[in-house]
Amino acid sequence: MNIVVTVKQVVDPNLPADFISVDPASQRIVSTYGLTPVMNGYDANALEAALKLREAHGGKVTVICLGDGASRNTLKRAHAMGADAVVLLSDPTWADLDSAGAGHVLAAAIRHIGDVDLVLCGRQASDTDAGQVLFWIAENLGIPAVCPVARIEESSDESLVVHRLLDDGYQRVRVRLPALLGVSSEINDPRSPSMKGTMIASRSLAPTWTASDLAVPQMQPKLKMRNQEIQVRTSSARLINGDTAEAKGAALADHLHEAGLL
Amino acid sequence: MAGVLVMGGLCDGAFDRSLLQAATAAAPLASAMGVPLMGALIGPSVSATADAMQCGLEAMYLAEDAQFAPYTADAYVRAARAAIEASGASTVIIPHGGVAREWVPQLAARLQAALVMNCCAVSAEGGQLIATKPVNGGSVLAQFEVLGELRILTIDSGNFEPRPAGQPVTPTRLKVPAQADAQVEVLSEEVQSNQGGRLKEAKKIVAGGRGVGGPEHWHWIEEAAAVLDASVACSRPVADSGWVPSRHQVGLSGTSVAPDLYIAVGISGAPQHLAGITGAKTVVAINTEAGAEIFKRADWGVVDDYKQVLRGFTERVAQLRG
Repeated sequence: MNIVVTVKQVVDPNLPADFISVDPASQRIVSTYGLTPVMNGYDANALEAALKLREAHGGKVTVICLGDGASRNTLKRAHAMGADAVVLLSDPTWADLDSAGAGHVLAAAIRHIGDVDLVLCGRQASDTDAGQVLFWIAENLGIPAVCPVARIEESSDESLVVHRLLDDGYQRVRVRLPALLGVSSEINDPRSPSMKGTMIASRSLAPTWTASDLAVPQMQPKLKMRNQEIQVRTSSARLINGDTAEAKGAALADHLHEAGLL
Repeated sequence: MAGVLVMGGLCDGAFDRSLLQAATAAAPLASAMGVPLMGALIGPSVSATADAMQCGLEAMYLAEDAQFAPYTADAYVRAARAAIEASGASTVIIPHGGVAREWVPQLAARLQAALVMNCCAVSAEGGQLIATKPVNGGSVLAQFEVLGELRILTIDSGNFEPRPAGQPVTPTRLKVPAQADAQVEVLSEEVQSNQGGRLKEAKKIVAGGRGVGGPEHWHWIEEAAAVLDASVACSRPVADSGWVPSRHQVGLSGTSVAPDLYIAVGISGAPQHLAGITGAKTVVAINTEAGAEIFKRADWGVVDDYKQVLRGFTERVAQLRG
């Protein structure tokens, strides 16, 4: 099975609001204290799913990442986790792409790899929380997309049976390959890089594909970022006191009762 | 004729007030642009919802057909496209959540439209459509100019009041030819109703987080919810660990909720969780960590062991409600 996984390097989403700032020039969210960016969480789940499919069916896992040179850190991690090949997609004209533009570039890279059976993406990136790029990739490639996927129940070279989450449960869906899946965090726990993988990854340099390599024309943007504002919360709850924890619980009930909330 | 189209997909046919909330978000756009406000519904059985959605719309389009259940993105995209073409809309407003996360971006990509999902505010300023949404897990609000001829926004409806009833219009029925999708086939649906009803429409919610300690302790959350007649919810780590099914998850990647009362037990208050409760009216936090972020969002807080607190709380609530 020839699998491509898309990954994105993001500011650690677990940083509290007072640890991040917005870079005025690029309008990007950056860590105030220079903390290392990480692989987007759902993308790590997608890579883990790809590695498991390769273990079951053989084949190749190629990881592609659209970003600047700093994103090599995330590609190194992907390589160390067990990816067969990693590629950086980087070009000055791609610095401010919206979801449609990013999907266009990633689809061009996947076509360039050629003969791909399955594309695995995280369901959304934790920095933009857009959840769109994967669908632009699928539309560009003319393949079906299923998202969010919480389980791969069956897999063969022709099709997969997956669980697509619904608000109140899930659907079991058979999807013919080639296809794209948007992977959710319920699907697995991503492995840590092995010692051997880390050594191999540290000795290799990911190739870079640019706009001219992929023959991607310039696209008209569909969205223009106006500004980003960090939400710093300053208010605080009214604390309920009592002699014991149980008394606090009862007092809470009384307060909510007085407020007509019970 | 350009226009603003409020559109919703209804897999199970039940009325969803988020449509009226989306209409509230859409109406000022239509007036600012000087174009009509219209509605469209997609589903196996939408006639009753169409009646409930009469809120002074200038046109209403219905795509009602058995092919829309069980949900497939392909059928919803074809129906939505038919509604956009029939109405001539240039701006489409859709309630965010559930399967809309899948079919709406497919619709946008198919029609090469601009899309912003999960908007908490929208406006039209000097002919420019502006959309604001939480990003970076909800710790940042981003504002976009939405460009192009066709613009689609999904709305976090908890931020808007339902639009009141208005002059009814006779709906136009759309013919959407059925077309089997050879590539994606639904084999079965495993759907379970939540205790206390649909999470996104629940008036009271008791939610547990990692601080609950494990699935063997989850009964504390369920018991507190039962005595309050509330729905049960959880934070992302709880769903990821498999303590409870993902359908209970509240947050950016789960369900957005807007209850009158939200009781967060053992939830630290990660931005992505708080982004799912922006519409909650009163938030109570019970946590052993006095410094937890959740206390900055909460109206009421109890800093103590949640089991003892819930024991006292549950007993007292039973008396007060009894």
